[in-house]
Amino acid sequence: MTPCDVPAIVGTCTLMCPEAERAQRERLRDLAVFERVNGNPAQSSPSLAVKKFFRTMSTKQVEASDVRPLPVLENTLNYLLKLFDSNEYPFEVIHDFLFDRTRSIRQDLSMQNIVDEKAIHMYEKMVKFHIISLHKLRGCSSQNTSPMHHLNMEQLAKTLTSLFNLYDANRHSNSTYKNEAEFCSFYVLLHLDSNSQPMGESLSWWFSHVPSSLIKSKEMYFSRRILRFFRMGNFKRFLSTVEAEASYLQFCIIEPYVDEVRVLALSCINNGGYKLHPYPLSHLSKLLLMKESDLESFCKSCGLKICTDEEGHNLLPTKQVTFCHPKDGSQNYRFWGMEQFER
Amino acid sequence: MAYLSMGEAHRRINDYLNRFCDAVSNQDGDSLKRLLSLSSNNPSILSLADALNVFQDANRLIKQSDNYSQFGEILVHLFRAFQSYRVGSFVDSYQAFEKAANAFIQEFRNWDTAWALQALYVMVYEIRVLAERADKELATNGKSPEKLKGAGSFLMKVFGVLAGKGPKRVGALYVTCQLFKVYFKLGTVHLCRSVIRSIETARIFDFEEFPKRDKVTYMYYTGRLEVFNENFPAADDKLSYALKHCNPRSEANIRMILKYLIPVKLSIGIIPNDWLLEKYNLVEYSNVVQALKRGDLRLLRHALQEHEDRFLRSGVYLVLEKLELQVYQRLLKKIYIIQKQRDPSKAHQLKLEVIVKALKWLEMEIDVDEVECIMAILIYKSLVKGYFAHKSKVVVLSKQDPFPKLNGKPVNS
Repeated sequence: MTPCDVPAIVGTCTLMCPEAERAQRERLRDLAVFERVNGNPAQSSPSLAVKKFFRTMSTKQVEASDVRPLPVLENTLNYLLKLFDSNEYPFEVIHDFLFDRTRSIRQDLSMQNIVDEKAIHMYEKMVKFHIISLHKLRGCSSQNTSPMHHLNMEQLAKTLTSLFNLYDANRHSNSTYKNEAEFCSFYVLLHLDSNSQPMGESLSWWFSHVPSSLIKSKEMYFSRRILRFFRMGNFKRFLSTVEAEASYLQFCIIEPYVDEVRVLALSCINNGGYKLHPYPLSHLSKLLLMKESDLESFCKSCGLKICTDEEGHNLLPTKQVTFCHPKDGSQNYRFWGMEQFER
Repeated sequence: MAYLSMGEAHRRINDYLNRFCDAVSNQDGDSLKRLLSLSSNNPSILSLADALNVFQDANRLIKQSDNYSQFGEILVHLFRAFQSYRVGSFVDSYQAFEKAANAFIQEFRNWDTAWALQALYVMVYEIRVLAERADKELATNGKSPEKLKGAGSFLMKVFGVLAGKGPKRVGALYVTCQLFKVYFKLGTVHLCRSVIRSIETARIFDFEEFPKRDKVTYMYYTGRLEVFNENFPAADDKLSYALKHCNPRSEANIRMILKYLIPVKLSIGIIPNDWLLEKYNLVEYSNVVQALKRGDLRLLRHALQEHEDRFLRSGVYLVLEKLELQVYQRLLKKIYIIQKQRDPSKAHQLKLEVIVKALKWLEMEIDVDEVECIMAILIYKSLVKGYFAHKSKVVVLSKQDPFPKLNGKPVNS
């Protein structure tokens, strides 16, 4: 396919950050912690400085020497992703830096109209960064993560959309890419809730365009079942299937729905359970895949009281009128037996 | 092609030019529209195109006469479009036709009444159809197909011309429907939103004033969008409107509406008759309907699998998948009815074990914990009235109306 008529720039910058920008930011003391030499807020180096994201009105105003060619972008991305696992700084700080610098990478790719397989690999890595951030930002204790989380979701949607466009543009005669099924499964999982359209398009519409071979893939089979269980309210199968089959990345997306489903389960049991048969917590904890002690606090945060029988078993009386949704899913209930998802 | 003399070619061209000018001066919309409908393979236009390809200098003829040259812009490009079309150069034909249409719009603006609306409709239709063919040609030549997208922009311009206070505004809905077709074909359905907003909120438009045929088409497309967005009550309203006002003799159109309306109706508990499915050849829904009537979960799953591709493409798969809860409700009701026949005093108590057995008989391995979970959900969503007793592993149904009907509302979320 011939590209459209806008002339693409060919970048010539050999460093992770153009020299002029580095010099300017050193002067203005506008360096992220990762960019500082020995913690000095006014000194960086070519091996530490990474180009920031700047809004540009049009590519006409951009110099080729400010744009990094593909090999440099690949190295830059790999360098950034190494920082992701760092323990030196709180996650919000790491995320903030990577969020901005990967956005700049995407901008450089787009300005140079790089749309080949190498771009696909880079976009796949960046989508994964945003997905893992979904999980890690939830685990952050500080208050400011909510706007960060919202922005992360926004960029996740944009990056995933670009990735799908790249798959389409590079498609030769009905073939699909190695990882495409996995990313399609992410898309489905981002749309579990029929009221949310994070990518501005309905899930049904999206399904109508997915190639048949992807629909039948193992990853899509998983996410479609999860979708069905979620929308039906089948809390037992939803939780057990996630526990047994979700990959780490899939779990990062599904996580908030786990809590939602558990709340639904409590709600249903409280609503429909026989008043004279309080529900044993030991059984419920198996259904909801939570430690019994966690389940007790979960019930409390839903406004439900627990009682105990003569043998000391904890029970959940039903038809309690004090049931309510827990305030702001701030507490993340660890899966019982799901330590594989804690990294 | 039979031999065509220069003289005959000249005659045909003059004939067309005269008819065009007469149509405009007589404000004869019907005649004018016939002179523009290219893609219907109208024999008189094809024979004109042959003449143009032989004569090769029609532009001189146009400029020579004052009568013709006042519509010079339109005619020159129109002729080019005809010629290219005739020899199968659709990209070229589209480009020329768009220029002709542009010039036509400028004239159209100046005509006071809406006499030329039918002709405008034809131009708008041709723009879309030619653009589709042009894109096909581009794609076969390994180029990026962008003519249909351009047609979309052009149609928005036409919409703008019609969106005024005068009598021409009733044409806006036709253009809207053509835009819907463009956006659906391109996959850019989110662009429908802005034109829908214009139709539904602008004060100049009164929906009832639009021609019936356009209203039906409009409701069909907006109904489909509601299906995609899973707004079932709204989808029901719009598609039902389309069905009600559709020409009862256009079976193809009725079938298209029903294709989307049936899943929507099913989701609110309304089941079509078998004869309807047969008459309109919608037998892909037969097993789904059967499954709902019989409470046969296995049949529902089988039907979804069998027609998975088709249901996914039309966007109704997720709607149909949701019917599972209603199928469960029906199954339970059947068990209840059987129990009532055996022992009416105990009928309202359903042992979970019995339900497990019934599902096993349907070749579905669902354990007692999951059955209890499903019972809890059915009760929560008001598909079953009663409660479940965990210790005795039994569901106790309310003596009054234990299986409430949906009554035209979707299952509670």
